[in-house]
Amino acid sequence: MSEPDVVARPGAGPDADRIDRETMNRLAGGDLGALDQLYEQYGAMAFSIALRITGDRAAAEDVVQESFLGAWRNAARYVDGRGTVRTWLLSIVHHRAIDAIRRRRPTSELPDAESGLPEPLVVPDTWAAVSDGLDRAAIQAALGRISEVQREAIELAYFNGLTQTEIAERTGVPLGTVKGRLRLGLQGLRAAMLAIGVDRG
Amino acid sequence: MADHLVGGLHCADATELAAAFVLGALEPADTAAVREHLAGCPEAHGEFDELGSVPPALLETVDVVQPPGDLGARIRAAAEAQQRAGARRRPAPAPMQPRTPVAIDIPRAGSPAAPWFRRPLWAAAGLAAALAVVVLGVWNLQLRDQIGDLSTYRNGVAAVLDQAAQPGAQLAVLKSSAGTGPSGIAAVGADGRVALVMHELTPTSGAQVYEAWLIGSAGAPVPIGGFTVGPGGSAWFATPHASLGDGVTVALTLEPGPGATTPTMPIIAAGKAA
Repeated sequence: MSEPDVVARPGAGPDADRIDRETMNRLAGGDLGALDQLYEQYGAMAFSIALRITGDRAAAEDVVQESFLGAWRNAARYVDGRGTVRTWLLSIVHHRAIDAIRRRRPTSELPDAESGLPEPLVVPDTWAAVSDGLDRAAIQAALGRISEVQREAIELAYFNGLTQTEIAERTGVPLGTVKGRLRLGLQGLRAAMLAIGVDRG
Repeated sequence: MADHLVGGLHCADATELAAAFVLGALEPADTAAVREHLAGCPEAHGEFDELGSVPPALLETVDVVQPPGDLGARIRAAAEAQQRAGARRRPAPAPMQPRTPVAIDIPRAGSPAAPWFRRPLWAAAGLAAALAVVVLGVWNLQLRDQIGDLSTYRNGVAAVLDQAAQPGAQLAVLKSSAGTGPSGIAAVGADGRVALVMHELTPTSGAQVYEAWLIGSAGAPVPIGGFTVGPGGSAWFATPHASLGDGVTVALTLEPGPGATTPTMPIIAAGKAA
């Protein structure tokens, strides 16, 4: 198998994170120029994630705006966190986008209408991404190492905002099978990313 | 690994739910149970860190699409408008237990689609009483020159007001039964989000935490989050939670440790959302 092409990933790597952390410090100090800089760096990626999840440009624009303003207001909180600024910021975008699509879903499709909307997803500022240092092609290569059904289950959860019960209904497989696919899929992805990272030194 | 029963889950149950939890694919009740388990369980539960490290990587696989050329300028303009309006709040140190970062939602300052100056007038009018409490509280704190505490209090008030301005939100004024001592306000959103700010609380020591509860018409208190309090006596938090519907009471107890599933100590302050 040929090695996937290495695609430059803006904002990845330790140097980029050092610069990002300086930007966050300025942001925490109220410097709006730092907000511009953060947007310059991650605006396109943020918009792409929001668009992928919401499927709607106007909704995606709202999500991005909300996310950057949220990051601005919470800049000082980040400094105390772990993980890169990139992971933190993009996770906020993901969280807001999932929140947006769950809110617009008809009530009848909610997993439990009695208990209100599903809770928003975790902002994983305490989870360092296993992919730090890996580019897009490497992550796609890792995705290629898990089974199709595992990949589908993970994507339905992470990009479509479905609960495991909804995934079972959508795909017509038992709930226990969905649970297994999510768990084995994530474990397989992690192992693959670690292996690819080691291979690349 | 020893097995512990915390938050209604055994360690093995929590581990079983880890993958769906980090992907956000659990039902709300299971999500809450996992959070409670992680907050109170003495085991490290490293599987959550391991599996949680994977989903952010998936974001890198998204095809890049250029945003509208003016989006950056719009964000900058919205930030400037909020800054001018004094809506800029300095982030407070996270008051929740470190094992429950999930319970601290990013405080909302109103959706960008509806900035503060476009919010319905009824929201502002309905907040007049709460604002009076807030202003007096701020004034007292300033007199005592507790700048750090004032900042925490102000941030909390801003979070509560933002939440209260959402359509369908309800406000609760928390007081002790004697009417003296700690007091505060909470906003309960139609979507179940709760923002709470308190002051004049006795500082916590050791493992003590203040636990906030929602008490619905069914009567059983549901824990919504715990926090510690420094010497200044002020604290706030914002958290998502499954809505309990109309007539909910927000209550606060001082528990000997985190992770209580039912109040073990007397209610310090409470108020009904209306």
